[in-house]
Amino acid sequence: MLQPRLPAARTAWLTLVGAGGFLLIWTLAALSGMTSRNFLPTPWDVVIRFAQLVVEPFAGFTLFQHLLSSFRRFATGFVLAVAVGIPLGLLMAWFVWVDRIVSPAFDAIRFVAPIAWVPFAALWFGTGIGGPVLIIFMGAFPPVLINTYRGAKNVDRKYIEAAQMLGASHFRAMTQVLLPAAVPSIVAGLRISAGLGWQSLVGAELIVASSGVGYLMVKGQAAVSTATVMSGMAAIGVVGVLIDIALRRLQQSIETRRGL
Amino acid sequence: MSASRRHPLLTLGTALGALLGVLLLWHLLTAVWGVIPPMRFPMPLEVAGALQQIAVEGYSNGRLHQHVLTSVLLVTMGFVVASGVGVTLGLAMGASRTVEALMNPVFLLLRPIPPLAWIPLAIVWLGLGVAAKMMVIFFAAFVPSVINSYAGVRQIDRPMFEAAAMLGVKGWRYWREVLIPGALPSIFTGLRLSLQASWTTLVAAELVGAVMGLGQILNQASQDIYPAMIVVGMISVALCGWLMTHGLAWIEGRVMPWNSR
Amino acid sequence: MASITFQGVERVFHQNGKAFVALKDVNLVVQDREFVAIVGPSGCGKTTCMRMAAGLEHPTGGSVSVDSEIVTGPGPDRAVVFQAFALFPWKTVWDNVEFGLISLGVDKAERRRRIEHYIELMGLHGYEQAYPHQLSGGMQQRVAIARAYVLDPKVLLMDEPFGALDAQTRVVMQEELVRLARQHPRTVLFITHAVEEAVYLADRIVVMTGRPGTIREIIDVKSIRTQENWDQHARIEDVMDQPSFVHLRSHVWKLLRSSGAADAH
Repeated sequence: MLQPRLPAARTAWLTLVGAGGFLLIWTLAALSGMTSRNFLPTPWDVVIRFAQLVVEPFAGFTLFQHLLSSFRRFATGFVLAVAVGIPLGLLMAWFVWVDRIVSPAFDAIRFVAPIAWVPFAALWFGTGIGGPVLIIFMGAFPPVLINTYRGAKNVDRKYIEAAQMLGASHFRAMTQVLLPAAVPSIVAGLRISAGLGWQSLVGAELIVASSGVGYLMVKGQAAVSTATVMSGMAAIGVVGVLIDIALRRLQQSIETRRGL
Repeated sequence: MSASRRHPLLTLGTALGALLGVLLLWHLLTAVWGVIPPMRFPMPLEVAGALQQIAVEGYSNGRLHQHVLTSVLLVTMGFVVASGVGVTLGLAMGASRTVEALMNPVFLLLRPIPPLAWIPLAIVWLGLGVAAKMMVIFFAAFVPSVINSYAGVRQIDRPMFEAAAMLGVKGWRYWREVLIPGALPSIFTGLRLSLQASWTTLVAAELVGAVMGLGQILNQASQDIYPAMIVVGMISVALCGWLMTHGLAWIEGRVMPWNSR
Repeated sequence: MASITFQGVERVFHQNGKAFVALKDVNLVVQDREFVAIVGPSGCGKTTCMRMAAGLEHPTGGSVSVDSEIVTGPGPDRAVVFQAFALFPWKTVWDNVEFGLISLGVDKAERRRRIEHYIELMGLHGYEQAYPHQLSGGMQQRVAIARAYVLDPKVLLMDEPFGALDAQTRVVMQEELVRLARQHPRTVLFITHAVEEAVYLADRIVVMTGRPGTIREIIDVKSIRTQENWDQHARIEDVMDQPSFVHLRSHVWKLLRSSGAADAH
């Protein structure tokens, strides 16, 4: 039987037990002396390290400086993906011949995991910002394109007929009818796209970067400082969540404005 | 992507034609007109040559099929373990509020961490071998399986549960006849995401450090500045990924013939 | 002279290797500034006829022309009022009405003048900045009508425009449309399955039968209307009380009733 909600107090208690149990096991394992504290720090060690990284530079910069570096790359790649993906998606939805030409090429490329572009990025851009941006683009682009295309293709026929009846040019039809109609789908795609883009960034920074959170983790790994690595993981997780929350707010505000 | 109500042969023909067109353009831009310098992008013939080299003679500690096998095997193992645990946990969390409440905190902690972010930690703890790869794949594939299986249970209609209760279905049968079939579509969505995550993560992990595997080819070719081999690596990654995704879809079609997808 | 001419129009569909004749041998001329209503049972092809005049569909045989030009595609010279309104939900009332004018290249001052005129005329004053979802069905259709009229089109095509409205609103809209049509006469092709509506609004009624869709009979309403001076009655219910109205309505009903049976092969 699908269980009804537990009383709030019980849920809170179980949550506490779950969290507490996890932290307890972790701490005991760390303190047991099986390994060094560098190798397996206690949760508290990680918190302390995180705070340290905020103030003291490691691998060249403080934590926030690294985060800023990462975010800048992410933003560039993401904005690029959106700037190319949305118009292309609209064009493909409106002009069948564009669809026929682009689709096969796109279908072929999208199965290459973004991370597999790293060697190419290294070849073309060295360690410049171009490398990570390319990889982020490769991660963020497909969802934007697909969602724009689908949203535009699924526009109710009556709007297209109304637009044609009203003499809309191709440009006006795409920008004033397809695009607004596809906005809910596009925004949903943006959320997925941002998530994939942020993930791809991490991968890129593990290999072709000299700053950023991924780079921080690599340096931490080289120094066998698990606390540093975990701090990096935490920072990445938090920023990823914040980006998603921001986009979800955007999605909700658009939905209310449209009266959906 | 366009819905092809046209004859499937015509669609295939157009796709092949487009592919040939791209190949021709590629050849022209690199070999004939020299618009793209060979340092930046290899010519089609060079890629063919690299392909032949790795398939026949071998490159970076092995022949192509050995690399492919290494990667595919690792992914499959990791995927099976991770999704097995993930689906079970997800179903349990969906079915029992107690389990859900207990596991939630740990899960919420793990969830925002991108799969690739586990790589440095795995390397610190387990080195550069198979174990580290498995660890990374596990955390990458585990999360989507849990989330989707959980969602799958939660979206089962109330009437199904009430019917089950009325018919006195309990215990193991309850799981087999009610929970799992009802959640199956979502479970498969989760499996698909898990497989993609597994594959991506493995290639990334191999890129960072490995002895063999497709990611390793990419890594070696990158260090050797061998663009043609990089392309061979990328195409291999794409093909394998595509094949596995379709393999999973085929399985899904056999397991759920009632699903109109 | 903006007339609509259907000449030997035929529409054949092919499905699973079989030919399905939707329309056969449709011949009709809608004169300049004439209000013609097409009535018929569901599926008789009346909407298809309108859509062919609009350029949204094409005949497989014969031709449809507006003003002696064969119709090849949709355009603002043949404005359409759709049953489902088809207002752009992401645009305000004003922007919706303005959309076609921009395509026509009308300058801003003229656009403003025309839009304000029709907003006033259709009783939409105060709603210019509202979004369609904030308006009732009747209001939305008023916007759609304003949007069509503002284009100063050669012909106006209306596809069961009041079909999606509740009975009371429908009556109000019919009265308004009559007022509008008398004030600004246009060539109108009006599709409906509601006989009363057709008799009330039209100069001529085209009765169609289905399977295959053809014209059964064309009835002249205008002569009766002017003779009996229906227009003296402001309210629709008074018009519908007139014996001449009732008689005409019955006549059309009888035609519709028998048309199905008589034309069944």
